[in-house]
Amino acid sequence: MTAPALSVTGLRAYYRTSHFGVEREVKAVDDIDFQVGVNEIYGIAGESSCGKSTLIKTIAAAIRPPLKVLAGSVVFNFGGRAVDVYRAGEREIDGIRWRHLSYIMQGSMNVLNPVRRVRNSFVDFAFRHIGRSTAEFTRVVVDHLKRLHLEPEVLDAYPHQLSGGMRQRVAIALATVCRPEFIIADEPTTALDVIVQKGVLAMIRDVQREIGSSLIFVTHDLAVHANLCHRLGIMYAGRLVEEGPTSEVFRQPLHPYTQHLVSSLPRIGDAEPKKGLEGAPPSLADPPSGCRFHPRCPVAMDVCRGNVPPMVTVAPGRRVACFVAAPESRP
Amino acid sequence: MRGYPAYLIGRLGQFLLVVFIGINIAFVVTHATPIDPVEQTIAAATQFGATSPEAIAMMRQSLKELYGLEGSLWEQYATFWRRVSVGDFGPSLSAFPAPVSTLILRALPWTVGLLTVSTLLTWVIGNLLGGLAGYYLRSRTLRFAGILAMALHPIPYYIIAFVLLIVFGYLWPVLPITGGHTMNMQRGFNLAFIGNLAIHSILPITSLVLAGLGGWFMGMRALVSNVVTEDYVVYAELGGVRPQRILGSYVMRNALVPQVTGLAMSLGAIFTGAIITEQVFGYPGIGTLLVSAVHVGDYSLVLGIATVSIVAVSFAVLLIDLLYPLLDPRVKAR
Repeated sequence: MTAPALSVTGLRAYYRTSHFGVEREVKAVDDIDFQVGVNEIYGIAGESSCGKSTLIKTIAAAIRPPLKVLAGSVVFNFGGRAVDVYRAGEREIDGIRWRHLSYIMQGSMNVLNPVRRVRNSFVDFAFRHIGRSTAEFTRVVVDHLKRLHLEPEVLDAYPHQLSGGMRQRVAIALATVCRPEFIIADEPTTALDVIVQKGVLAMIRDVQREIGSSLIFVTHDLAVHANLCHRLGIMYAGRLVEEGPTSEVFRQPLHPYTQHLVSSLPRIGDAEPKKGLEGAPPSLADPPSGCRFHPRCPVAMDVCRGNVPPMVTVAPGRRVACFVAAPESRP
Repeated sequence: MRGYPAYLIGRLGQFLLVVFIGINIAFVVTHATPIDPVEQTIAAATQFGATSPEAIAMMRQSLKELYGLEGSLWEQYATFWRRVSVGDFGPSLSAFPAPVSTLILRALPWTVGLLTVSTLLTWVIGNLLGGLAGYYLRSRTLRFAGILAMALHPIPYYIIAFVLLIVFGYLWPVLPITGGHTMNMQRGFNLAFIGNLAIHSILPITSLVLAGLGGWFMGMRALVSNVVTEDYVVYAELGGVRPQRILGSYVMRNALVPQVTGLAMSLGAIFTGAIITEQVFGYPGIGTLLVSAVHVGDYSLVLGIATVSIVAVSFAVLLIDLLYPLLDPRVKAR
């Protein structure tokens, strides 16, 4: 097997605030391990405030105080060149941005500067990587837009002159114009209606296939994951609880939380009323001891309260962090 | 850009309407006052000795003609507009027979020069420092500048003017404290005269800049610290866009949009804000002229200054409105 495009090992990132002497620590990302293969779409699912966006920020080396990385490493592999995000210098990271690693952001309807024409945004982000003459740069950009079925005229528009779906597609074009090896997409379809969503998803898939890049796709919308992702990781309260090929996770979820998620999806012909899960996701400032899901878990045992279940491989390609689903991991 | 000519014409019409209504109000107010300038002049002229009734009647007739007070109110109104449209406000009472327009034109360049320079200087320095302070929140120097600006802000501008006067006129007398230039100096477009003007304007300008800086500084710092959390700024940082470009085209440019409106407001205040400053530093501008006109009851001079202010304020606001779409393309879309 070739080296993975991204390896995240033991990643731990907390928000640490101190207001008038009151220390607060929010454990938004705790001990996360996973890998993303070359040319793979890896989905990360989980409910709101489970730490998805923090995980993305940490992977993208976009942390700002009060967020702090305490442990672990994030190593990208760009065609044989390994870059450890938290050991590389500022200059190296800067050279990677957009050329090798780009983002499609949460709320990316608003990622374009409202007082600059779209053309200038392309220049700001990509000119230093594509370089050459202005005319040639424009040609590269126009070719790229055409491949994504966008009119070159959008370059002369201001963002407010484009519709929401259009802006989103322009943002995707902007993120992929340098043909990066790795793309991180953080809820790019969340604010869109299903018709536009379908178009945007098709566009992301097409461009990923065409460039051959690896992609992390984050959303709470399981239907989108089912449509797009090769592999799926489920997050709960700052931890990864289950991982596997998307179809298998849907067909046979192992973790009780995943089981609830999957059973909440409506199916055709299914007339049974859906049941909500008791309780609310825990505060990450004061997470429950042991397995963070145990207060809401219908099958929790004593061991779950005092011990953190490790992430273990239970079948080829399937990992789960649960003492019930993986009895051999019990202490 | 197609909508711009339509916007221009609409805005121009609005400007003319505002000026028209404003001058009408000034006309009505002056004609509704119980003070009759003609009778006042006659009283002043006759208080030192007996004058024949015929002579008084003749004097009254010619004065009425001079002030445009002949006939019915409608005829007066028509006369008034005919005169105003060519910039004639009649003769001044206190500096008779010098026309009001001459007096105003003599004082206007001083005020406009002083206040344009100080307002723009305040705006540029305040926004630049405030913007940098909002962007580089950790900078020690800028934090100190913030404390200084906040401390200066609540001090009234005339107090600052007096403090400067005492410091640079008495304790350490290095700067001229009164007048627009050295008395009896030959005026001309040469280095010596311009340098003299500049030195005389240092204290009034400094007092106005120091007094106005805090507001712009704090406003811009707050705006910038809001803009830096916008998606497009975060995204540009993730995208490795050059920091100077982010600060200039992404942060400052977006934060400046409301500040330009503020600039229009303060340019509008040019004709009222500097009255005390001009008095303190004996500056020969409109403010000094207005105060002395009010003191001696020079009615036509006050009306003239009011009219000029109305036109100037409306014009400043018009100018800013016309520049606005160039700064923020979203305004154009209306």
